[in-house]
Amino acid sequence: MSSALPVEQNAGMPPLLENLPPTRVLIVEDEPEFLHHFTQAVLADPALSLDAAVASGAAALAVLSATAPDVLLLDLGLPDLNGIEVIRHVARACPQCDVLVVTMFGDDQHVFEALESGATGYLLKDLGLERIAASIHEVRAGGSPISPSIARRVLERMRASQDAAPADLPAGAPAPAPQPDRVLTPREIELLKLTAKGLSFERVGELMGISPHTVVAHVKKIYRKLAVHSRGEAVFEATQLGLL
Amino acid sequence: MNWRVLAGAIFSGLLAFFVWLAYDPLPASGQVQMVRQAVVQESPVLKPPPAPDPAWKPTALPSSLRSAAGEAPRPAWYRMRFQLAQQPSEFWALLLPYFSGGGQIWLNGHIVGDIPVSTPQMHVRWERPQLLLLPPGLLRAGTNDFCVHAAPVEGETVLNFPAPRVGPLSELRSQYERRLFWVHTMPELTIGGCLVVSVMVLLIWWRLPEELLYGWFGIATLMWAIRTLTFVIEAVPPERWQWWRLVYLASTGGFIVVMALFASRLAGLRSRRVEPCLLAYWAAGPAWFLLSGLGNDTPVNVLWTAGLIPIAIGAVTVSFVAAYRQRTVASLVLPVALAAATLCGVHDYLVAWWPEALMPIAPDWAGERYFLLHHGANALLVAMGLLLSARFVRSVRAVRDVNETLASRIADREKALAENFARVAELERQNAAAQERKLIMREIHDGLGSKLFTSLSRVERGAMDGPQMAASLRACISDMRLALEALAPDDHDLLIAFGDFMFRWQAELQAVGVRCEWTVDVAGDELPLAPHATLQVLRIAQEALTNVAKHAHAKRVVLSLRRSDDWLLLSIHDDGTGLGSPIAATGRGVLNMRARAEQLGSTLTIEQSEGQGTRVVLALPLQADVFLAAYTRAERLG
Repeated sequence: MSSALPVEQNAGMPPLLENLPPTRVLIVEDEPEFLHHFTQAVLADPALSLDAAVASGAAALAVLSATAPDVLLLDLGLPDLNGIEVIRHVARACPQCDVLVVTMFGDDQHVFEALESGATGYLLKDLGLERIAASIHEVRAGGSPISPSIARRVLERMRASQDAAPADLPAGAPAPAPQPDRVLTPREIELLKLTAKGLSFERVGELMGISPHTVVAHVKKIYRKLAVHSRGEAVFEATQLGLL
Repeated sequence: MNWRVLAGAIFSGLLAFFVWLAYDPLPASGQVQMVRQAVVQESPVLKPPPAPDPAWKPTALPSSLRSAAGEAPRPAWYRMRFQLAQQPSEFWALLLPYFSGGGQIWLNGHIVGDIPVSTPQMHVRWERPQLLLLPPGLLRAGTNDFCVHAAPVEGETVLNFPAPRVGPLSELRSQYERRLFWVHTMPELTIGGCLVVSVMVLLIWWRLPEELLYGWFGIATLMWAIRTLTFVIEAVPPERWQWWRLVYLASTGGFIVVMALFASRLAGLRSRRVEPCLLAYWAAGPAWFLLSGLGNDTPVNVLWTAGLIPIAIGAVTVSFVAAYRQRTVASLVLPVALAAATLCGVHDYLVAWWPEALMPIAPDWAGERYFLLHHGANALLVAMGLLLSARFVRSVRAVRDVNETLASRIADREKALAENFARVAELERQNAAAQERKLIMREIHDGLGSKLFTSLSRVERGAMDGPQMAASLRACISDMRLALEALAPDDHDLLIAFGDFMFRWQAELQAVGVRCEWTVDVAGDELPLAPHATLQVLRIAQEALTNVAKHAHAKRVVLSLRRSDDWLLLSIHDDGTGLGSPIAATGRGVLNMRARAEQLGSTLTIEQSEGQGTRVVLALPLQADVFLAAYTRAERLG
């Protein structure tokens, strides 16, 4: 993952590091209106460069095999492929690429599935042009947005998997190696709980004594753990079978 | 069933064993002689008349000397003989199996026994046999001569005299003791047993007065105990003798009447007239006896006692009819016992009053003068006790069955109730859900729907430019978001919906340069509220925040949601210029807010003051919100 950028030092938002190469963006959206909207937003920002804007999953996979975008703006409702599969492919094939899911509001279930598959963040479709570019920069800077309901779902997911964890182990199989990042740290859980109440990042940061940027960086870490966790067993199985 | 057979076998075996243990075979050396012949003459003189006297009349023993009609029998001398081969070395004895009136016994001219007779000071009636020692010195080889002076029992019409037995003391003592047991000890045991049983049964009856059978049984045993007592007490002063007669009459009559009542009750007959009549008849005898003067009991004996006979026959008949109807083994017990007791009574009557009738049939038995009614009545009482205990067992079982039936019925009923309750809860839930759906549909229709229709018509008229249309659509989206936020939480928690709402609004307010702070002060982690109510609360907040964002020129807005006792208070306080004009304060937005607050049964206050901004406070009474309670209850039950 490319989240190695030290967030604490990256105080400005959006990052104004002119000396860095522009962030390469791939847009996958089957709705022409939104495709246009997103393309406009990317083209309007000099810090972003558009690799491609495609309208189908197959095209996206083709582009991905040829180029290595930094950010993938992905609509889940594609005509040919399930967006989740595209995310899985990206997570496998180009792990340095951040996937931003483009979603309608109130679509938490899909967003959550996408995050579990390895997406780093999500964009609401009705955002203004400038907010779209800003969100892309945010993700590149190591942060991720989170809404109260997503925070609630993450908490529930963690709780459920922790409860069920011992039972998940197959009786005869060798126990999987312990994964320290499977479980969230107390601070991460506190952050999720505050977020689940609807508090803004600023307020959450205040309450936890950290900057808002650190908050979003934590969120991104949480997403990663979520993805690792949800794929943990699948990866383990695949490794055992020699597929990976 | 097998264990009963086994228990019965063991019990019978034990009984037989004890009978064998207690059985004492009569020693029979052949030396005991029964004297069958005598000569008799009536004489009140207390010295044996000389042997050669023409007044002696021969008689066979046992004898019943009947006096002339209407006269009391007179004392008489009996002279008898027996042969001895040689003078015995051991003690010999003379056994008189019965000697009711008492008298003297002489052997070879010497008096050897003097049993008290009735005197003006003492009335006697001996039930026990008499065993008299014969001193060896008085016996002689060859013919021995002995005389017995027998006195009649006062009130009897026959002078009975048994066949005496003469023999070694050791042999006769066994015979004596056996007879003593049956005619004296057994009645004593009967009295004791009857008293214990009657006290016990009457105590039960006292606590269960509706169980009349127990009462009759207790009274019957008590009567029998009292009646038997008159046989055990053999010597009483004459003035008390009459009272004993009274007691005897009352207890005998009582026993028979109560038996009849018991039999009819057991047969299931119950006559409101017959029962009091029987009891009255019972009372009439003793009363008559008292009224006609003690000592004159002949008419009572003749008439009232005779009247008891049909009653007894009636009881037997009733019990037989009942047995015929029921045709069970248990129903046969009482009639058989009654019939046996009746036979015993007839037997005793014959023995007492008409021994000649029995003599030809069983001369030895008749001469023994054994009275059987004591034992027949005991058997009858035992039979009654058995029936009662069977009845008791049956009623206990019935109660247990009833209890079990009731318990299972209650369980069924409880199950049915629980199902019913679940059904009602489900209906309530469905009803609540339907109600909720209706409210929300109306919301969407009135809110989003009307906005979309208005916009559409304006667009079609060409009366809307791009930015206007965008604003209108944004308002629609905002409306829809609000609905989604209100409906999203699965557990209908206002706090969650409010969190989502604020998360969205924070960004929007920030975009227009308004700083937003909000606090939640609600005890506990959740605040259950029906979705439509949540929607209304959020709409009011949205309306207020929209005003802040659009018109107030505010820099800062503070929201607080808090619960104070039974009120939920939502306050939105900005530092702007207020709504500007009084017209705006009565404008559409504010009117909408008020209408929504009213729908919730809550109050909305809007305070505006110069320099202080605007403060909107929504006060929602939580307890009054019945729909909320019903809704959440139905949800939890479902």
